[in-house]
Amino acid sequence: MRKISLLIIFSFSLFTTYAQNFNFGTITLDDIDFDRNKIDSNANAVVLKEFGTASVQISDRTGSTELIFEYHVKIKIFNKEGYEQANVVIPTYKDGTREELISAIRASTFNYENGGFVESVMDKKSIFTENKSKYTVLTKFTLPNIKNGSVIEYSYRLESPNLFNFKTWEFQSDIPKVYSEYLVYIPAIYNYNVSLRGFNKLSDTRSELAKECMRINGTPIDCSKIWYIMKNVPAFVEEDYMTAASNFKSAIHFELSDQQMLYGGSQKYTKTWKDIDYELTSEKSLGAQMKRKDLFKDAMPAILKNSTDDLSKAKAIFEYIKKQIKWNNYLGKYSEDNIKKALDLRSGNVADINLSLISALSAANLDAEAVILSTRENGIVNKLFPVISDFNYLIAKVNINDKSYLLDASEPLAPFGLLPLRCINDQGRVINLKKPSYWIDLVAGQKTSTSYIMEGKLEANGKIKGTITTHSTGYAALNKRTEIKKYSSPDEYVESLDERLPKIQILKQQIKNIDSIENILTEIYDVEFSPIANASNDDLFFNPFFINPVSKNPFKLSMRTYPVDLGAASDERVIINIVLPGKHEMTEKPKDLAIGLPNGGGRYMLKTLVEDNSLSFSQILQFNKAIYQPDEYPYLKEFYSKIIQNQKADVLLKKTK
Amino acid sequence: MKPIFIFFSLIFLAITVFSQENYDSDLIPSNLKNRANATIRKEETVIDMRAPDNVILSVKKAITVLNKNGDDKARLVLFYDKSTSIKSINGEVYNAAGILTKKFTQSNFSDESAADGFSLFVDSRVKHYLPSENVYPYTVVYNYEIRFKQNLIIPDWVPQDEDDISVEKSSYTFISKPTDELRIKTQSFEGKPEETINDKQKILVWKVTNLPAVRPEPYSPGRKSYQTSVKIATKNFTYYNHSGSYTNWQELGKWNYDDLLKNKKNLPPATVQTIAELVANEKTDKDKARKIYEYMQKKTRYISVQIGIGGFQPVSASEVDRLGYGDCKALVNYTQSLLDVAGIESYYCIVEAGNKKVSLDPNYASMVQGNHIILCMPLKGDTTWLECTSQKIPFGFLSTFTDDRLVLACTKDGGKLLKTPKLSTAENLQIRNAELKILPNGNVIGTMKTTFSGSQYDNNEELIEKAPLEQKKLLAKVYDIDNINFNTVNYIQRKNTDPEIIETINLEMPHYGTINNNRLFLKLNAFNVQNTISEVRNRTKPVYINRGFTDEDTIVYNLPDEIEKNLLPESDKKLKSIFGEYTCRTILDDKKLIFYRKLVMNEGTFPPETYAEFFKFTTEVNTADNLKLILSLKK
Repeated sequence: MRKISLLIIFSFSLFTTYAQNFNFGTITLDDIDFDRNKIDSNANAVVLKEFGTASVQISDRTGSTELIFEYHVKIKIFNKEGYEQANVVIPTYKDGTREELISAIRASTFNYENGGFVESVMDKKSIFTENKSKYTVLTKFTLPNIKNGSVIEYSYRLESPNLFNFKTWEFQSDIPKVYSEYLVYIPAIYNYNVSLRGFNKLSDTRSELAKECMRINGTPIDCSKIWYIMKNVPAFVEEDYMTAASNFKSAIHFELSDQQMLYGGSQKYTKTWKDIDYELTSEKSLGAQMKRKDLFKDAMPAILKNSTDDLSKAKAIFEYIKKQIKWNNYLGKYSEDNIKKALDLRSGNVADINLSLISALSAANLDAEAVILSTRENGIVNKLFPVISDFNYLIAKVNINDKSYLLDASEPLAPFGLLPLRCINDQGRVINLKKPSYWIDLVAGQKTSTSYIMEGKLEANGKIKGTITTHSTGYAALNKRTEIKKYSSPDEYVESLDERLPKIQILKQQIKNIDSIENILTEIYDVEFSPIANASNDDLFFNPFFINPVSKNPFKLSMRTYPVDLGAASDERVIINIVLPGKHEMTEKPKDLAIGLPNGGGRYMLKTLVEDNSLSFSQILQFNKAIYQPDEYPYLKEFYSKIIQNQKADVLLKKTK
Repeated sequence: MKPIFIFFSLIFLAITVFSQENYDSDLIPSNLKNRANATIRKEETVIDMRAPDNVILSVKKAITVLNKNGDDKARLVLFYDKSTSIKSINGEVYNAAGILTKKFTQSNFSDESAADGFSLFVDSRVKHYLPSENVYPYTVVYNYEIRFKQNLIIPDWVPQDEDDISVEKSSYTFISKPTDELRIKTQSFEGKPEETINDKQKILVWKVTNLPAVRPEPYSPGRKSYQTSVKIATKNFTYYNHSGSYTNWQELGKWNYDDLLKNKKNLPPATVQTIAELVANEKTDKDKARKIYEYMQKKTRYISVQIGIGGFQPVSASEVDRLGYGDCKALVNYTQSLLDVAGIESYYCIVEAGNKKVSLDPNYASMVQGNHIILCMPLKGDTTWLECTSQKIPFGFLSTFTDDRLVLACTKDGGKLLKTPKLSTAENLQIRNAELKILPNGNVIGTMKTTFSGSQYDNNEELIEKAPLEQKKLLAKVYDIDNINFNTVNYIQRKNTDPEIIETINLEMPHYGTINNNRLFLKLNAFNVQNTISEVRNRTKPVYINRGFTDEDTIVYNLPDEIEKNLLPESDKKLKSIFGEYTCRTILDDKKLIFYRKLVMNEGTFPPETYAEFFKFTTEVNTADNLKLILSLKK
């Protein structure tokens, strides 16, 4: 009983200080008449007011400390597109021993009818609990009597045993918010690292001391009481060429750094990198697995039998591990059990594979380290302080002479030194068994380039016959190999390619180095096509941009808020030489062009000429960076636009007598 | 007891034989590897209908995945709910050489809610398993047993349900009591099942062998209309404590009406009064119905909740009245109840909804042929159909979701098969008139007005209530022209029985015309280019075009003064084929360049050998659509 009365006093004191939760059901004419033009004329619904509070308390149910989160929101719905705001889904986490609980759900719809507010209270029967999967429970409900102009209001309470991340608060969602306030009570015995993500600034924040906000075994504990307020928050809209949304969405994140024990001493959670280094290197599913040289002693002579220098040794080991363990499609920075088991089963997660690689490289006396990172989908890691839960992947780094190579043996089609695109995400942390850890840039270790070379001849019947030879490296080769490997045979791949190009017929094909992935992937196609669009008289019209034309501008929006992330720099070249029957004069051609992006970000060059009996055409398109900032967006858009305009023009050839 | 014992030993025998199979992938005949991503080595499905509330399904399936595209074919997904329980599951994985590498049991399956993504709540769940193998080929063998506490829905047999799977051997065994009355529908199955009857059991066995994979062909009829299948329905059935009997649509419709729809039409007195007042001044039944329909649309929204027999039975009208939402069954039943108040007769109709037209099988009645409910009002000969789950759709319009197909009307006199109205080629119109101006720098500006009706009304309905910014984003995808900018966008929705959407856009296309060496390059057809289709040689299946349409575009380009005249090349085109007609014309009238295009695409089923002609037609249309005009500029 004592606890409860404390709570009441507590909430009373809350009432008299700063901001507060608002009363349920206090709908005003201002709410009903709210003009969306004040915040976003395109909004289908708007959060008028949102209030959340989180604190730590001793649970009556379990007797242990729990996080209590209370949420309350009022949303105005403008039109049918906004109705989905009335369908609410609250995901909660559970596992064998612990679970999060949702309670005290209250929800009502308010409609203004005949000069008065009509409240439709949601029935408790309309609340459904769905055990979505082993770890996820969804609490779902929908509000009754939704109409254009309805105001909905709901609140609930969440109890969570997870204190580690406290409770994240998302200021931004898919609809704009007029007012969003989060109030947290952090007991003095806990220390949290707090980070604000996203592009929006807090409108207000303030903190004060809350005396004796909780009691553990009779000992009173003070709290820091902190408000975070954001006003007029725009809706979060995902854009193309963007990495994980969580990188950009405005939100407050917490991670527990340490906890004071009641009877002296403290337990550290988030630590310095020095602590993390010690922890990871002594961890039995990470550091210990980097040292299993013994597992490879016997196999090593056979693996290295053709290798003389260190680089060729490393390559041989990399190939060996790729063949030895198949990826089971799970990510991870820790071995599932241990690498011996993975080697026995010949299957394992990313960490199993790459820890095996590190151990094997070490067994050959090469200098190998581990790199932990966060994949593109997982978001960018916090670099202000170590947040070990941000990392979800582990790769190997091998240092040979003055050079180092980043290796991921989980992707069988990736050559030595080229990380799969999922790993290219800002920076990773190098974990060394003996030295302190440090940051390293995660960049593609190989250039991505494609070149198309066509040698052809314009035949008397108006058809062009020739050979297109394509060379691909880097991600271009990786993607193409992955695509080809989806088919039972290269022939079936080419057949489907042929079907997709209705105006070009592939007469013969040859694909080289599908499996020797350290080499350039080469495709050779004998093709035939009739490119003459409108031939009249002896004039020949011909559009030279039939190989991989840029027909659509990938950047359609006029504004960009977030960086454009293309993943990797790229280079594409097209060279066409066509032998013409007899002498021709070129009366029209696409403008020869050389344009660039600011600061050497990229360039496009085009040149067409007729010399003697032959037409030659060359085009280069380069992007020299992986990431372009929002202020570079207009240039990128215009760059594409210029290319598209130029590619509309034809070559016009006149026969000279 | 004896026959049961025999059955068990039979099963046991089957298992032992099965486990000695050799799954070496080299043993797959090469004709079955051709075009296949996976091969079913052997599949044995046994259904034992021991009692109406005790039907046992046991399946043993061995499938070899030949390449990465086939991975998903090895996935096993089993649904269960209160009337369906999974008794056992286990399996093995074999490598290319047929050596056992892994075993798995029920604990390796993930267990998830079967939520379909649009329902708020569904009480059925799934267990699924996908082996994670990266070395091809590999073979997965599944054994599982499921118990159904009902016999209204008996699993169909479809030995080859996808084009890229080949089948070595597959069989379907149905065991029932000799006294059970069965109706069996077989499709594309040569011959008769093997039949064994004794005084306790009747056993029917269907078998197929050596079905090669087929190349997917575009514009083919739906697989379901020609693939080999066996469907079974029993006369007497039990389902969630309901029972009944039927042998045809009339009786099934009657059971629906008498049992599932009974006592669901109560409305609170206030609503009855509101409706009575609402229609008091309307003269005809149709006008009354329109008022009621609009009332329903304004009051409700679509929310799907499926629990137990709720999959087939609506919640009551009073519940919908109170909550303001419901699923298709609930909203149709609610609308029907409101119409009853005004004394207007209507039928609750079961339909298979979707863009592809699928009719209920007139010769074979069964419970799961439809997935949606619509409402039909006979109105003394002026039959009018209502789609009750959309707040936007006009009164009396069904849309491409449920047009032109057979549906089951559940009436007090029993079930009747009715045909929904067809949207014809001539009705599916897109009429466009644009008045554009070309500026000396190649920029194009102007206004474009387009009227969409019939099925083309459908394609554009989702745009009309979107926020302006969202509309512009979507329009940039429809009119995919570099840098296109929409200054104003306006929609008018004509909510007739033959509804129309009128789209008026004021647009800008910077540098749409390219100026190069004193010439202006202009693609005349900016907005409506026919896509090419893939070239498939040796076509085997008929060419099926689901719905025809007619597009008519007139674009007037006002030319800048700098243009020199008399330079118009021959570019008019007229094409005619069994698939449609195409006309495009360009007229130069002083400073006006007028481009006219009309494309009529016919619907229907055409013989396989006509595909080449279809390919030629679409390719020629595409070429003509991409025509570029080159105009000389004055020096």
